[in-house]
Amino acid sequence: MSFENNTVPVTVLTGFLGSGKTTLLNRILSENHGKRIAVIENEFGEIGVDNDLVIGAEEEIFEMNNGCICCTVRGDLIRILGNLMKRRDKFDHIMIETTGMADPGPVAQTFFMDDEMREALRLDGVVTLVDAKHVLLHIEDSDEVKEQIAFADVILLNKIDLVSSTELDHLEARIHSMNSAAKIYRTRDAAVKMDRVLNLGGFDLDRALEVDPKFMEPEYPFEWSGLFEFQKDDYRLVLQPGPDPAMNLNFRLASEASESAMRDTVEKAVLVFSDEEVALQTGATIEPGEQLSQINLEGDQLEYILPVPAAGSYVLFTEHHPDEFKAFVTDSQGNRIESLFNREYKPDHEHDEEVTSVGINTPGDLNPEKFQDWLRELLANQGPDIFRMKGVLSFHGDEERFVFQGVHMLFDGRRDRPWHVGERSNSLIFIGRNLDRKALNAGFNACLI
Amino acid sequence: MPDLDISELKKKWLLPESWSVVLGDYIIDLAWSPGASQLAVVTVEGSIFLINDQGDSAQFQRIGEHAGGANSVCWRSDGAEFVTTGHDGLAKVWDGNSAQKLCSLKAGDSWVSKAVYSPCRNVFATAAGKHLKLWNEQYEVFYESASHSSTIADIGWNPNGSAVAAAAYNGVTLHVPGKQRQPRKYSWKGSSLVLAWSPDSKYIATGEQDSTVHFWHVKTGEDAQMWGFPTKVQELSWDTSGRWLATGGGASVCLWDCSGKGPEGRKPRVYDAHTNKLTQVAFQPDGKLLASTDNDGFLFLWDPLKHANVVSANLLSSTASCLRWCNGGKFAVGQQNGEVASFNIRSAFKHINL
Repeated sequence: MSFENNTVPVTVLTGFLGSGKTTLLNRILSENHGKRIAVIENEFGEIGVDNDLVIGAEEEIFEMNNGCICCTVRGDLIRILGNLMKRRDKFDHIMIETTGMADPGPVAQTFFMDDEMREALRLDGVVTLVDAKHVLLHIEDSDEVKEQIAFADVILLNKIDLVSSTELDHLEARIHSMNSAAKIYRTRDAAVKMDRVLNLGGFDLDRALEVDPKFMEPEYPFEWSGLFEFQKDDYRLVLQPGPDPAMNLNFRLASEASESAMRDTVEKAVLVFSDEEVALQTGATIEPGEQLSQINLEGDQLEYILPVPAAGSYVLFTEHHPDEFKAFVTDSQGNRIESLFNREYKPDHEHDEEVTSVGINTPGDLNPEKFQDWLRELLANQGPDIFRMKGVLSFHGDEERFVFQGVHMLFDGRRDRPWHVGERSNSLIFIGRNLDRKALNAGFNACLI
Repeated sequence: MPDLDISELKKKWLLPESWSVVLGDYIIDLAWSPGASQLAVVTVEGSIFLINDQGDSAQFQRIGEHAGGANSVCWRSDGAEFVTTGHDGLAKVWDGNSAQKLCSLKAGDSWVSKAVYSPCRNVFATAAGKHLKLWNEQYEVFYESASHSSTIADIGWNPNGSAVAAAAYNGVTLHVPGKQRQPRKYSWKGSSLVLAWSPDSKYIATGEQDSTVHFWHVKTGEDAQMWGFPTKVQELSWDTSGRWLATGGGASVCLWDCSGKGPEGRKPRVYDAHTNKLTQVAFQPDGKLLASTDNDGFLFLWDPLKHANVVSANLLSSTASCLRWCNGGKFAVGQQNGEVASFNIRSAFKHINL
């Protein structure tokens, strides 16, 4: 009987007009990979694709009666793909090229919301082409560009020959801050190895976390931290003017004098750094605790007081590297004190992006009920703003990893494999609009046992 | 697979096949000639076949094609002609006796999803993209709708042939050529996939993308919505009386009582035996039996107004993609693997106490 379970992978190609979608499509089709590929082109397709089967589609978005944007699907794709799946010669792969103005959400949701599509097809990945030369012109005011970047599993930064490497670094950092789970490749004429755009498993739970380890190492709002052994005293932070007029810092207590104790304070400091800063002028006192201090760095002799109420280990987090301001710490007698441990962090390129990624990387076990309640409420309230999410969770009492991924309010998760010794941890990422890093972290941490 | 003892079924309940033929690719639609001696069949790849039913055997010939694929087939009520549609933008009209092509009509730009003859007059309707056209006996367009707001998913004449309903995203539109200034809208924020007129013209039922069934009271425009289907609903069939609507949309056949004030607030009768998603549900046009098929290839026959048990069954060689009854207890099943099989409930009568 012909009741087969094999699903056909589908790649969604997004990007503005002129970003190189057709060039990439032609490369994929002409590459000698032995695959039979069907192409569904939007009505404004940039013509010139040579293939046995190119089907024109006119975007038709079906909303469901509950009015939830997360339940929109593409009616045209259901019709066309439904017919394609009935053909005698099955295709090995299907490419869907969307218009530059298309919202990738309904396209992606079609493969989860429609039972026939779900049975016969699997969404392999969203590949977004970005025109390195022109994207900055519309990234600010185009929701489409932001959404296409946010939804992507792979982003091709194309036409790199037309911009300087500094501009490229800047652009790449910016795109990475919007979607830190996507792989970014720099290309000319959309030249890229096929295995970087096909068979991504971007929506595949087995590969949910087979992503760049960078994604698990979030960008930090500070560049440096140092752990100091302090006695009860008033210590001084001494600086010289540098490249910036002001800098944020957090001064806090650690549990002991070890590298792991400093590491344990990092997540808390990240949260403090998303707070409102308290502006301080030279000579001011910075108490250890949960305050984000913004110290003024203009003037000749800059000195801030770090009062230590009791002997112990303290950590200083600074927005910029202390070397930039020739900064050092002394005790009240003026003796220079070096940190026992220090660490440099990958800087976060702050752009105040509307679309961002929030990564959470926390040890500990989750209370399953609390987590479910939290996630349900989060998706109910912010589902339309959360484009993608994925992660691995450690549930209390469960010997196996729980992997999940989602698109808007659609959530797909299951147990995976047993945890290895010492491996238990939670790693997840949200990519979306107007995400509140602090609230997400706090909400998640409240689910820990 | 269903937990059924096939050998036991075969002994006692098997509905024997009258004949079957293999046509090659996925059968997308088929239609009996009014006299039930011929079966016109179209396939996903675009072939058009005419099958001659000789009782316990059948002969077929390939009479033509639609380039790129075919979508639908329908006979004129007098059996003299039938019409096919396809991806080539055409509706093709064929002579029912000679199997010669009579004409090719430009019904749309590319995808002509359906053509349906009026149940009593020699006119037919075509749906292509957002456009509905009505064609007269001389193959001229005598009515053309303004563009629908979205692609028409299904069309159907009312039982007396005076009006055509079109289902699309945002509900149903009713066209009464020559009798209205503007088509009547039955608006609904959802995507209707299939429609079925009740035999008494009282209701239009639609199967929906969002896993619901909608009922429109044609005169008043009042509507009712039925929830709880596991999947989108693409299988609808009324019984001859117009009291019962059978629905698929999952593995259970449901019967909705539409007598009196209609189905709202009533629980459907549920018929469980299939263990996979239904693909076809069809009431007998001149009797009380109901046939259903599922994704595992099972074909079940029910006497649903009497009891909830399967009265006869068969296991097809693949999933049924279309099932059409004709008068006299006969029905044909087109399948995904290109096979067409014919069944007659009379051959099962000797086993079944109906």
